[in-house]
Amino acid sequence: MNLPNFYFADLPPEATLSPTMIATACDTLKRNREKYLLPSKTDDIIKILCEIAAEWLSPENKFRKLALELGPSETGFSKPILEKGLDNFFRQFTLENFQALLVQELGHAERLDGFADGASVRGPELLVHVAAGNIPNPTLMSLTLGLLTRSAQFVKCASGASFLPRLFAHSLRGLDPKLGACLEIAEWRGGNHELETELFAHADCLTATGSDATLATIRTRLPARVRFLGYGQRVSFGFVAREVLREEEIITIISNAADDVIAWDQNGCLSPHVIYVEERGAVESDEFAKRLAIELAKRETTEPRGIISVEEAASIASRRAIYETIAAHRADAKIWSSENSTSWTLVFEHDVKFRFSPLNRFVFVKPVPDLNAVLQGVDEIHGKVSTVGIAAPPEKTKDLAKQFGRWGVTRICPLGQMQKPPLTWRHDGRPALGDLITWTDFEL
Amino acid sequence: MNTELSHFAARLRELIANSQSALSNQYFSELALELFGLQFKHNSTYRKICEARKLTPQAVEHWTQIPAVPTAVFKELEMTSLMPDERAAVFHSSGTTEQKPSRHFHNNESLAVYETSLWNWFQNRFGRAGELIFLTPNQKTAPRSSLVHMFEIVRQKFDLPESAFTGNISGDGAWAIDFSETIQKLQLAGATQTPVTLLGTAFSFVHLLDYLAENHLQFQLPKGSRVMETGGYKNRSRILPKAELHTLITDRLGVPPKNIICEYGMSELSSQAYAESSGAFHFPPWARARIISPESGREVAEGETGIICILDLANVFSVAAIQTEDLGVRRGDRFELVGREQLAEPRGCSLMTA
Repeated sequence: MNLPNFYFADLPPEATLSPTMIATACDTLKRNREKYLLPSKTDDIIKILCEIAAEWLSPENKFRKLALELGPSETGFSKPILEKGLDNFFRQFTLENFQALLVQELGHAERLDGFADGASVRGPELLVHVAAGNIPNPTLMSLTLGLLTRSAQFVKCASGASFLPRLFAHSLRGLDPKLGACLEIAEWRGGNHELETELFAHADCLTATGSDATLATIRTRLPARVRFLGYGQRVSFGFVAREVLREEEIITIISNAADDVIAWDQNGCLSPHVIYVEERGAVESDEFAKRLAIELAKRETTEPRGIISVEEAASIASRRAIYETIAAHRADAKIWSSENSTSWTLVFEHDVKFRFSPLNRFVFVKPVPDLNAVLQGVDEIHGKVSTVGIAAPPEKTKDLAKQFGRWGVTRICPLGQMQKPPLTWRHDGRPALGDLITWTDFEL
Repeated sequence: MNTELSHFAARLRELIANSQSALSNQYFSELALELFGLQFKHNSTYRKICEARKLTPQAVEHWTQIPAVPTAVFKELEMTSLMPDERAAVFHSSGTTEQKPSRHFHNNESLAVYETSLWNWFQNRFGRAGELIFLTPNQKTAPRSSLVHMFEIVRQKFDLPESAFTGNISGDGAWAIDFSETIQKLQLAGATQTPVTLLGTAFSFVHLLDYLAENHLQFQLPKGSRVMETGGYKNRSRILPKAELHTLITDRLGVPPKNIICEYGMSELSSQAYAESSGAFHFPPWARARIISPESGREVAEGETGIICILDLANVFSVAAIQTEDLGVRRGDRFELVGREQLAEPRGCSLMTA
């Protein structure tokens, strides 16, 4: 990839970073912020963000082309999956959506620019992101939020995961070199104490996504004054109500369910591991499972799953072997899967207990008599659930939302939208901008 | 009691006792297919799996086609041809976090096959080397461990006292080591210049090495001393890459890398594979490993990584074809174990650990 060496992640693989390099980078970032970001107006930043999005959505854009051309080998996602995932993300970047986000989070769209209604807000001077490697959108979103709060930003990507954040940073730099100079993108395998200690010492706020163990370790190593925002492991599931299990609607519902399973090859926290299907619909739950399996097979031809590691494939193969055995012994358990590959797997079983999928398009469909059975099945993952995607008539959806919300789910959305959170999404139930900023109250 | 399986077991024991070299491919396949036919007939749980995969004795022509049962199935189903009243022993898979362990049932005949198998291959790899110290609990305290049963048989064959076991079980049920007793034995070996072989799990060696480091103790065990280390940490100690563990063993115990032998075994099997410190694992002639591509289900090419599947003829009364949850690199008819520490950073958002 022929990109200039602006960021650490642009350096050739043999180049090694040193704590001094990290320190110098952080100082430079802070200086650049002072010069370029702080004087900017929120409207100008939003304008640039919308321009970046428009560029990424344009088929001729250099960065988009690079992302789609090299993405499959760099990220392990197929071109159609990257295309859809990135398009869904950048389509959210509209003036109206950003305004809505600011109003939702800050009460006033102007509060980042100065006092409005007796209060103003400011972001951290240096915002550090420790990004997980699974999917790019959360990292791109973190960068976007950090730009809005006028923070200098340093993104530490997991090993092998800097490709898209890097392209995003370059595209920003292309549009506005000054803003692009307020970012740093680096990549190293988490746990490099030498580099991380230096980086953490410069941070004012740090966001981290990863396993609970990773977050706990980071937290203990952060200086006390650094604000820590950890986004730990979350899982999601779908729910299909019997009222919509009718021939008239089933095609759409199956298609929506497949959309959620294949988006980012099921790698995000928002991807469903299980789809609970109410029994006694006009289309029965096993028929739903069968049709979803057919749909997953079809999608494999149009939106194929990406390349996975042998460990991930082995994990799927092992689980398939177990469920094939279970299916051989129980008439009410079934398994459908791709032949000669691990591309997709659907397990249908009556046990309501939530099961963790090995991901990469391995989904469980579980029939349930009602919502209570679902709540019973997901009891063990209480507090760990991000999203529930629902297919139900509007009135029932409202009721379900109420009950799932009370139970502790942090996001409820229509089935088919699980991996398309809006710009205003509160990650894990936490404020999007609200957690980053500090308020100044001006009492007249 | 099933006479067909009993006959097979008796023949196999004889074969193992006289097996000096590899069995020919054809002979191995014949035996495997014969056993498959018997297991299909007498193990109804297994038969259902085979029928679901449409791989019945009529359809299977070569041992590599025999349906392998995932080890995890031993947790869910009783994978045995033994009736409940025939079962004399059961071995459980280890691991502190598992709710349901694997269960491998044995009767006296199947224990006899297990014992013949383990002893012959152990002897083949180790011969006799002075004293043995087992860093595990003894059989009375850990009756359901197939590893401890193996050590107990080795102890009996060598006519060693029960005190050769220096491990015990701590209050929370985890395996621990009696450090003072172990150290006493190591000191005695040094004083009498008797070579000693230490046998234990990787985590028991980590416990011992940590203890030695904390107490600034270092041994130079007599020439000819050896270590047998068997993988798996089961969350019982910090995890060390194999090379690092072996370096520490050499540093703290004075056992050179060439005398560190790794064992690969599990409760679901009746035979073990051994490897020299940096070498590949090797099963005895009566068990064979195949490295299978998780994508295609076919054997991988030389040097490639896949799932380790084993056909263990000594698993007479359970099921011979086993699909493990371990990854290995194919090296001829041997394999290198891919340690968990070498696995890539997980990509997905899963909470699953297994």
